[in-house]
Formats: sequence, structure tokens, C-alpha cells
Amino acid sequence: MRTKKNAYGVTRRQAIRLGAGTLGFAAFFRVFPVHGADAISNAKTTAAGETVSGGKHKKKGPFRVGFSNGFSGNTWRTEMLYSLKKEASQHKDLPDLIIVDGQGDISKQVNDIENLVSQNVDAILCIANSSSAVAPALRDATKQGIVTIPFNLPVDGEAWTAFIGTDPEKKGFTLGKWLREALRDSGKIVALGGLPGNSYTASAWAGAQKAFQGSNIQVLAFRDAYWQEDRAKVVMADLIAAYPQIDGVWCDGSQDAAGAMKALLAAKRPLVPVTGDDYNGLLKLYQEQNGNYPNFKIGLLSEPTWEGVVALRTALKLLNGEDVPKRQIIEPRLITSENYKDYVRPGLPDGVFVDTELSDDELKTLFKS
Amino acid sequence: MFMISPARLSRALRFVNRLGAVWIAVILLYLVSGLISPGMFQINETLNILQIAAFLGIVAIGQTLALLVGGIDLSVAGVVTMSNIVVTSLMLGQSETLVPSLLISILLAAAVGFINGSLITLARVTPLVATLGTNSILFGASLVYTGGAPHGSISPAFAVCGQGHIFGLPVSTVCWLAIGLVMAWITRQTTFGRKLYAVGANPAAARLMGIPVNRILISAYVLSSVMACLGGLLLTSYIGLPSLGIGDQFLLTSVAAVVVGGTALSGGWGSIVGTIGGAIFITELNSFTNIVRVSTGSRFVLQGAVIALSVLMYHLVGSKRTSS
Repeated sequence: MRTKKNAYGVTRRQAIRLGAGTLGFAAFFRVFPVHGADAISNAKTTAAGETVSGGKHKKKGPFRVGFSNGFSGNTWRTEMLYSLKKEASQHKDLPDLIIVDGQGDISKQVNDIENLVSQNVDAILCIANSSSAVAPALRDATKQGIVTIPFNLPVDGEAWTAFIGTDPEKKGFTLGKWLREALRDSGKIVALGGLPGNSYTASAWAGAQKAFQGSNIQVLAFRDAYWQEDRAKVVMADLIAAYPQIDGVWCDGSQDAAGAMKALLAAKRPLVPVTGDDYNGLLKLYQEQNGNYPNFKIGLLSEPTWEGVVALRTALKLLNGEDVPKRQIIEPRLITSENYKDYVRPGLPDGVFVDTELSDDELKTLFKS
Repeated sequence: MFMISPARLSRALRFVNRLGAVWIAVILLYLVSGLISPGMFQINETLNILQIAAFLGIVAIGQTLALLVGGIDLSVAGVVTMSNIVVTSLMLGQSETLVPSLLISILLAAAVGFINGSLITLARVTPLVATLGTNSILFGASLVYTGGAPHGSISPAFAVCGQGHIFGLPVSTVCWLAIGLVMAWITRQTTFGRKLYAVGANPAAARLMGIPVNRILISAYVLSSVMACLGGLLLTSYIGLPSLGIGDQFLLTSVAAVVVGGTALSGGWGSIVGTIGGAIFITELNSFTNIVRVSTGSRFVLQGAVIALSVLMYHLVGSKRTSS
């Protein structure tokens, strides 16, 4: 599973400082640019659950923090890692960030977490390969007084210290609602998800289906497209042949969306409203093609690549004795035809996820472009 | 009224048998899927299937050679990914860089095949382990080379191979069939081809006959890698972009296409023409399960069941065959 990303705005920081308990949230929307250093501070975050007391976790620095990455290899993870390392280098009380890679293997990740515990780290950040499998390992670490912060993808139960991420079901619902409105309550759609059986797509699609209830939206097919353009294009080409009328496409990731739109172009069919995330490839395609196809519209929700930065900051806050919310749910802003220009990065590769605090120069270095 | 006489039917069956039983499966699946989902009968969808089948088809031609010599090549997935990453990062959307970047990709793939072959023949590593290891190394190398953030794109001229049409046929299909014909000729009509079969059937006997077994094995793996590279390049041309996960889908589907096409996992038996049918069959099946209204779980069950059934049928129909 690849992680999703989005953007929000908060006054989370202020809320936390004030010790605002269960539901501190405030928001201010930045205008633009959405990327760059402001991406984090301008994001909207909802705090949920009880407040985690910092006093219990307060320690004397310097700190050792471990990060168990479920896997690496897609550009989202690459940007996330870069941001996290950059953030770590800016904390004087953090000489050591130990990064371990689960290589997509559930049991390797459990082992990785146990190894971090035996290396006496003060905090463990984690993107889980499996929401259930890593829960016991994190619980054991938490019991030993280690601050444990899963982020991006959920971990079952609450036997970890704090969580940072988005709400996939809510995102799926919002995207579904946008598509429903774009189609004026009626039309035939197809849906493309990520890897077969992944929990993110399952939640997002469940949310979307709720949004379609009571409308005349007819779902012709739901298919896995692996969050890969080539796979999505192949699947969509089949669906195009089978269904003479496709009025819209629901996707939980924009690689799927871009592949689907390219299949429509190859079949010489007009582009239609489509949902997705902050993958630059689709934004560039929209910029290039929206003049040719008046019915081509986009509704996108990001999954911020800076979630790791917030996770690290949260860990350090706790270690310094500050309170934090149990869950920080990042609320992504909807990217549409109206505001996409604030997000698209024409000079950068398609693979860039644009909801990042990294500058264009940093991204160019990262993508060697 | 037109009647099919038993003699004529039997002649027709013999003809199909000579081609390979997989073609019966291809036609049957086409008819059944078309009756269930009429979309399958559309000319556009048929051309679409042939276009998509080309990528798997070329990779599977290479896999056939590895299986013919009694081995297996699981590094094809890594080679496809490597070719995709290398060619996009070197081409950078320019036409001037087209030829050199294609050549470098092919040479790299040949080097990978040479390493596979050397590991298997000189270091005596089991083909499955050697090529799976190479596959892992190639994925890691692609990750290191790109830093996890691939960039680059293909030149518009190159896009024609994967996206264009010629005389109404997808260019990728034409490339595939041309490569298939050449490889079929090499395996059936040249002494090198005969040696491939001999080495796969019985390496010890082949050695006694004076066949340079190691050289033949290494050549088979080099050709397998080069074919995987060509398949990867066509797929790259189809999508235009680098993608680190692009080759994964071929790891086992390439073996499935070859086996469905009638090539024996034990070596020494099989044909390129059968593999072409196998690749069409697998792609047809994917397309059908994409179109038909079933849940994700049912799709996988359906795909597995149909593949198993077709192999069973192959054994039943193909067992009377005298030549492959």
C-alpha cells in the first residue's frame, strides 16, 4: 500500500499549547502557495481522542528516535523520507534518527520494531505494513516507556502513544460527493483503487459509496489499478470497450486517474470528471488538456508527504514534556479546477506529490531533474 | 446446408493441435467471454487486447527460452523495471537520445542475462534462486539509481511503438509478432534452436553429443533478458513514464503465459507460437475479468480457475500430439 497524503490547516499548535483537550481545532486557510514551508503550518488538523500528557514521557535529551518504514520505493515515500530526515537534522536534541525499512514484509517490520526497542530508542515512528500485525510490537514498546507514533496508515487499537494521518473514509466520501456534484447527481461511473485488498482503498471506497447514496450515480465497475499509471490505463482501456458511456471516474489516487484519462485519450473519447490526490502527473495533464475538453474536471484530496515531520515533532514534544492530542487527523483541502494552479508544478516530474513543504529546488535535487 | 464431415473436423482438429492446444483455449475463452460480455466482441477491444498482450507476449517469449533449456527466469520483472527506468532517464523526452538510450537499455539487459547464465552454469546456482536474486538486485539498483524518485520521459517519436497504429493494427502487436516469428524461426529452424531443445531435454546427453551446454544456457538467459527488456521498452512507450513497480506484474504472469502455451516446466518441450497464444490467453482473461461484473476476490478465483482448467485441457487435448 502506498500512503496517501493531504493538506490541512490548523491552529493545532496553538490548541495544543493551550492544553486544549479532546477537540481542539481551529483552522485558517492559507491562500497560496500551498507548497513550500507553509504547507505544514497552514494545514488544517483536527485533534481527536484524549490528550496525551507530556509529563509522563518527559526525558532529558539528547534523544534517539527510530523510524520503521513499511517499505520504500514510491515517490510519496521518497518525499516523506526526505522531509523527515531534513526535519531531524534541524533538531539539536536529536543526533540520531535510525531508519529501518520493512521492504513490504509484515514480519520484517515487526522484527524491525523489536530491534529498535533493543537499541534503546526514546521514540518509534512507524508507517505500518499491516494495521493489525504491528499493533502488538508497538504495544510492547509503549509498555517499556517508548513514545510510539504510527502515522499515515492506521494501527489497530490504541496501544500506541499518538497517531497522525488522514481519514480515508472521509476523504473517499468527500471525493464521492464532489464527483456526484460534478455529474449533477446522475451518470455512469467507474472506480479505480490501489493494491487489491488494501485497507486504505477499502475505507475510501466505502466512504464514496455513502456519498452516492440517493443519487442516480450508477457504478459500472470497481477495479484495482495498483496506483500505477500503466495498470490503470490497461484496466480503463478494457472498461472503455465494455461501456460506451462513462461519465466520470472515481479514483483514490491520481496515478490511477492519470492512467484512466490517458486511456480515454487513446480511445479518442472526451475526458470526464475524475477524482484523485496530489500527484503532479494528473495536475499537469489537466493543465494541458482542460482547454480541449470542457467536461474535464478534477476533484483531488492530498495525503501530505510531511506527515512524518508532524510525527517527529509530536514525538519530540512529548519527550520535552508537552501535551499532544491522541489523534491528529489532517484535513486535506480539495484541489479543483478553480485552485489547481496553486498546486501544479509544471517544471517537475509527474511523480512528485505536490502537498509538500519542500521547495522546487529541493524537489529538483531529489528527482535529479 | 453446410455440413462438417467427421473427416474435415478431424483434419481441423489436427491443424489446431499442430499449432498448439492453447489456441483452442484462446478461441473458446473469446467466445464465452464475448457471450457474457458483448464488449469483448468489439473490434476495438480485440485490438486493445492484442496491443496489451504484446508487452507480456515479448517478455514471455524470453521466458520460453529459459524454460526450454530447463531453467526459469524470474529476473524478467527486474529487467522490465530497469529498462523502464534507464530508458526514461536517458531519453528525457528528446529524440536525439532515442537510439543511444534504447541501445544502452538492451546492452544492460544482455549483461544481466549473461550474469544469470554464468551464475547458473559456472557457479551452479539453481536457476530459480539465481534469477530471483538478480531480480531483487535489479529492483534495489533501480531504487538506488533513482533515489526512489524517478524522473524523465520518452521522446514523442518513441511513443509510436507502444501507442501508435499501422494499417489498423497496434504497432506494439506488429513488433511482438515480428519478434515472435523471428524467435520461432530461430528455435525451430536453426541448429542453435535445436541445441536449446537438446540441452533442456537432457543436458548430460547434449554434452556427450558435443553441444557446448554452458554456452547454450548462457545464450538462452541473455536472450530471455533481452526479450524482457524489449517488452519493458514497449510498455514504457505505452505509458511514457518511469515507474518503479512497472515490472512486478511480469514475475509470474510470464511463466503462466508460457506454461499455458504448452511449454513444459521440465525443459526441452514447447514452442514460441504456443507462448504467443498463452500471452493472448492471459491478457484476454484479464480483460474479461476487468469487464465482467464480479467482485475483486472473485476475479482472482476466476483467473486462477480458468488458467488451471486450460492447462488441464492442454494435457487432455495435447497428449495425442506428436510434435509441439
